[in-house]
Amino acid sequence: MATRLQFENNCEVGVFSKLTNAYCLVAIGGSESFYSIFETELADVIPVVKTSIGGTRIIGRLCAGNKNGLLLPHNTTDQELQHLRNSLPDSVVVQRIEERLSALGNVIACNDHVALAHTDLDRETEELIADVLGVEVFRQTIAGNILVGSYCALSNRGGLVHPHTSIEDLDELSTLLQIPLVAGTVNRGSEVIAAGMTVNDWTAFCGSDTTATELSVIESVFKLREAQPSAIVDEMRKSLIDSYV
Amino acid sequence: MAPTAKRPRRKLVARPVTFSPFARSAAHIASAYMIKRQMIENKLHEFCQLTPNGECKCNDKRNIDETESDSDGESSEGVVQADFAFFDPKPDDFHGVKTLLQTFLDNKEWNLSGFVDLILEQTTVGTVAKLEDDDDDGLFSVVTALNLGRYKDHKCMKELEDYVLSVCHESNLVDQLRVLFSKKARDVGLLVSQRVVNLPAQLLPPLYDALFDEVSWAVEDEPTEQLRNSFRFKTYLIVTKIYMHKKANGKLGEKADSEEEPVIYVKAEDELFHELKNYVSMGLVMAVEADKIPTFRKQLRSLIDDEP
Repeated sequence: MATRLQFENNCEVGVFSKLTNAYCLVAIGGSESFYSIFETELADVIPVVKTSIGGTRIIGRLCAGNKNGLLLPHNTTDQELQHLRNSLPDSVVVQRIEERLSALGNVIACNDHVALAHTDLDRETEELIADVLGVEVFRQTIAGNILVGSYCALSNRGGLVHPHTSIEDLDELSTLLQIPLVAGTVNRGSEVIAAGMTVNDWTAFCGSDTTATELSVIESVFKLREAQPSAIVDEMRKSLIDSYV
Repeated sequence: MAPTAKRPRRKLVARPVTFSPFARSAAHIASAYMIKRQMIENKLHEFCQLTPNGECKCNDKRNIDETESDSDGESSEGVVQADFAFFDPKPDDFHGVKTLLQTFLDNKEWNLSGFVDLILEQTTVGTVAKLEDDDDDGLFSVVTALNLGRYKDHKCMKELEDYVLSVCHESNLVDQLRVLFSKKARDVGLLVSQRVVNLPAQLLPPLYDALFDEVSWAVEDEPTEQLRNSFRFKTYLIVTKIYMHKKANGKLGEKADSEEEPVIYVKAEDELFHELKNYVSMGLVMAVEADKIPTFRKQLRSLIDDEP
């Protein structure tokens, strides 16, 4: 189910929050209603952690993560790093990396299996992404934009990309990522998808300016309508038992 | 009686390229860069002329004597031309207007999108100022007048009313304000005027002229009797920001210099509104009688023309 909300009159929800299948990070300093909407939706399924990164509230754009790990930029303070290590589940590897392009949320787009990276990313960073996040990394552009993390939102079930992505690009990316992709907008025509929304396998949060059409596109491409957190867990359980046998 | 001057109409220039979504996006990026550059480079010495089809053309010429803020080291010989044009509000202007009105009610979380929608729907009264060429979507200023009675059922207007009444610290004035919002609402227009901070002041007289002319045209031209009456404003309500000296018990007092005047107006025209009697609060919310408007227009023109 997709929810619409605002952070202090600002519809760029993906800037102030980061949602994955294992945890959710929320910026401090917003009104309690922002935080409580996340809490209500995510309840006891995953922890909702209030944090800042480098003293700023734009945490969604500064960090990149999935259920396996979380990558933080070099300007994250030690207290923030410690706080995150304490609050997140033990299965999540929290790592601070030295990378010139420090807005990791803008340069990396990832789900639990694949990641798209900025073309100028360091080789070391690429290896770290593959290690910490447990994904396969592809250097790509989206509609000619190198900030892949800004112009697409990915989950394990689908992805939403910049509206001006050509059909060939869509097909190519879809093959790489192995998920269905759709070119669309969020927040009433905004092309910066990842800034306007944040998504995981069973829920999404969009800015309150998002129109009903955009919302229905989001719900259909990310397959949110039937999704329940327990369904995901059950699926995982089935596959685990299979492989054990 | 049809007005002799045409109200500002959009120029219909055939530009097939800009109809493609790609071009719009490219233009958006280019315009953001261009606007930023012009914001940095615009120095205020210009003329304004009203062209025959009701648009205002302002020519920006850099004052060659001003060398103080040449921070990027460019020679001050360059002349920066900026032609501003006024348009009716369109649904596409949503993001621009919303950005300008972000701090309209300080930090309160309210239905700003709904409020912007109201402004954009009212195409007969209301003006946005953009750059001349169609490629730009950058909005520099918005002015409009919304009838309180006509829109009072909208959630955003209710939130606005609650907020304005709650921040008013003087109890006697609160009652007057409340009356304005309820009984007299049909005759009260909310004057919304926001612009980018360093917009050339020479644009102001034509901008306000455009607004008040549209109001008077609407009184004659609107299709239904009810709509016509909704523009017969007796009072304008203005919500704005000022800097009030700390010692004068101001809420927004920022400057502590004792040589400073007691009140500093962020927008120059607010000072004129303030003097024209009948204001209701500490300079944050003002109710101005509609018949004082012609005086305001004259004063504004002379204020801007006299400024160096």
